[in-house]
Amino acid sequence: MSSKTMIEAKNITKHFERKIALSSLSFSIKQGEMVALIGPSGAGKTTLLNSIAGLVPLQSGELLIDNLPLRDYKRGKKFAKKIGVIRQQFDLIGPLAVIHNVLAGKLSEWGLLKSLVSLLVPQEKESALSALERVGLRDKSYEITATLSGGEQQRVAMARLMIQNPEIILADEPVASLDPARADDVLSMLTKIVSEENQTLVASLHSVEYARKYFTRIISLKNGGIFFDLPTEKVTDEMLSDLYLLKEQE
Amino acid sequence: MMKRIPSLQLHKRFILTVLLLAVFVWSLTSIHWNSELFHAGGIPTMLQIVEGLIQPNVEPRILLVGLESAWITLAYAVAGMSLAIIYAFIVGVLASGTLTSSNFSRFISKVFFRGILGFTRSIHELIWAWLFVAAVGLSPYAAILALAIPYGGILGRIFADMLNDVPKEPIIALKAAGSSRLQTLFYGYLPLVWADFISYTMYRFECAIRSSAIMSFVGLGGLGFQIQLALADLKYDAVWTFVFYLIALVILVDAWSHWVRMGLTNHKRIKGFGSGWMSVLFATLLVVGSWIYITIGENARLFELLSEKNMEYAKKFFGGLLGINQENPAFLDAESWALALRLTMETLEMSIMAIGFSTIVAFITVIPAARNIANGNLTLKKRWYNWPMFGLIRLLYIFSRSVPELVWAMMIIFIFKPGILPGALALALHNFGILGKLWAEVIEDMDPRPIRNLATAGASKIEIFFYGVLPIVLPRFLTYILYRWEVIMRTTIVVGFVGAGGLGMDFKLAMSYFDYTQITLLLLCYMILVLIADFASETTRKAVK
Repeated sequence: MSSKTMIEAKNITKHFERKIALSSLSFSIKQGEMVALIGPSGAGKTTLLNSIAGLVPLQSGELLIDNLPLRDYKRGKKFAKKIGVIRQQFDLIGPLAVIHNVLAGKLSEWGLLKSLVSLLVPQEKESALSALERVGLRDKSYEITATLSGGEQQRVAMARLMIQNPEIILADEPVASLDPARADDVLSMLTKIVSEENQTLVASLHSVEYARKYFTRIISLKNGGIFFDLPTEKVTDEMLSDLYLLKEQE
Repeated sequence: MMKRIPSLQLHKRFILTVLLLAVFVWSLTSIHWNSELFHAGGIPTMLQIVEGLIQPNVEPRILLVGLESAWITLAYAVAGMSLAIIYAFIVGVLASGTLTSSNFSRFISKVFFRGILGFTRSIHELIWAWLFVAAVGLSPYAAILALAIPYGGILGRIFADMLNDVPKEPIIALKAAGSSRLQTLFYGYLPLVWADFISYTMYRFECAIRSSAIMSFVGLGGLGFQIQLALADLKYDAVWTFVFYLIALVILVDAWSHWVRMGLTNHKRIKGFGSGWMSVLFATLLVVGSWIYITIGENARLFELLSEKNMEYAKKFFGGLLGINQENPAFLDAESWALALRLTMETLEMSIMAIGFSTIVAFITVIPAARNIANGNLTLKKRWYNWPMFGLIRLLYIFSRSVPELVWAMMIIFIFKPGILPGALALALHNFGILGKLWAEVIEDMDPRPIRNLATAGASKIEIFFYGVLPIVLPRFLTYILYRWEVIMRTTIVVGFVGAGGLGMDFKLAMSYFDYTQITLLLLCYMILVLIADFASETTRKAVK
């Protein structure tokens, strides 16, 4: 495993109106790490992921992605190859066939004409089919995405990420609306793919068990600040109950 | 924050209902109710018209003419709609602001293109037809463009609204995957809205058939033209034959659009050559067939429209509208304004009367017309006469809405003397069927449990209606009344064309006398009315919420 630093945050701060969302966070994540973000709701997990994805502008501090400042990246192909995002299953285009949703991961590489033709005759079909094969949905390639179950849709989103093939994957509550069996399914698949491709994964989770089971490092957030940042095996039950309990006493 | 007195809040709907009733009664007072309203031979004529209805003309010659005219009507409607869709697509996308990057340019493009859509749809298709015929002469393109412009305006506005309402998450995800704005449009926005857009277009297509039929009024062929000719010859039996053709056409289109909508809401995909592809094929054939017929069969040339002679006419016409080189333009003359405003008032009264009549008839008939009442599901009572009543009233509704207001007006004008009453009656005859159908669907969609409780408690049908059904459905009923009123407002000017009073009658006179500045003045008044109607119904709708 290389030790290249993929994400480096230096005192990043973000507030919405009066509310502080992120207060002076600093951390660095190396290539191949699998990081779980945990913490009570409203702690800033989503805001942090959105700022790394470049969706939310920061007030101060600096974010380096692969040693380049985030703001130096332009939207488009280069950034899409660097960072990919996966959320709850709502981020697919329901009325499109599964294969088109998967091939949408190629849009940054394709021109307009090729992407239009692909809606009629799927282009680079083999790559999409093999991605679907890996998530176990090859037989559903031509079904309407909206007819699939929540867990299946999340696997389609993963296949799209595989096609996009970014170096960093940001997952925002990827299993929030799935039942435990499906959630296990999706997370084990996601972490397996990430380690096979030597990608870097940062996922926000509401469940501590999943964080411990699938991730190598846990960063916990509370009130916009880092509460602890430790390898998974060093996280104790006490720390966790502190993380969630303190919130209620405030 | 304004605090309201609770009892006022509670009685808001009641007060509103009384207010609307009062407005309706006020509109009735504008008519002198006596026998002077009828033509001397009005009643016998009416009997003759009814006779023709019972015994329509079924001579093969008439039937053939009817078939050919029905095809022309369909072809114009299809050609007009195909242009309308293109216009709606392009301007709708621009008006939604989905292709713009910065907030400022999005705001500008929204205001500008929504303005264009609003303007094109606020003017009735028949007025567009008048303007085109006056500017470029009789050509099928006058009819097609006259249909395409307002329908494109309506479709485009709905399209833009749909694009603005798509869920955000999938779009953000696509952008995060690096797709460009145009790619996001084709992979995100369009797939998300296309099913709804097609449903709405199919629904509008049915309206376009009726509009296409009345295009004949300005001298363009089709079923309306034949109806007009037969009326002029007092051949009422033939009139009904053509009317039945029109009804059949509307029913067929309605059935097709129903079928398409069913296919779209059913998410299950049929493998192979499904109903969706059948419809696509059929639609393509229709569009191609219509255009071939119009360009080859009717020998209409688009470039002829743009000939130098026509450009000269058009320049003169629109220059005239703007009052260029006119001594005393009517729209700058106080006296003309006073007269036009009086006509505007009359037109307003006509529209209120029309929606009032429609509401009364729909109100009386709607209960037996609801499927869940007919089969006894809602009231838990089954009577032998339920289904015959249901069938009869639904048939009446179809009959009422299939015949355009203008055709009703042309017939009614044989019975009544010109004035706003015949206009209001014609509008009401067309609209009660639409209102009744929409209302019946509201009742069919309602939660049956509270009503069944009332029924088991022994309430009679009337009691159930006032205690159970009405309180639940009233807000939606009112919404539909207001929505139809807006539509009626746009159409008032059209029934005026055939002598049913109001702005339309004067509009036609001004057209015949080439009094261009007067036309501009009347159009201004008309647009004021449309704006008032939009505003009033929007305010009332919000008050009911």
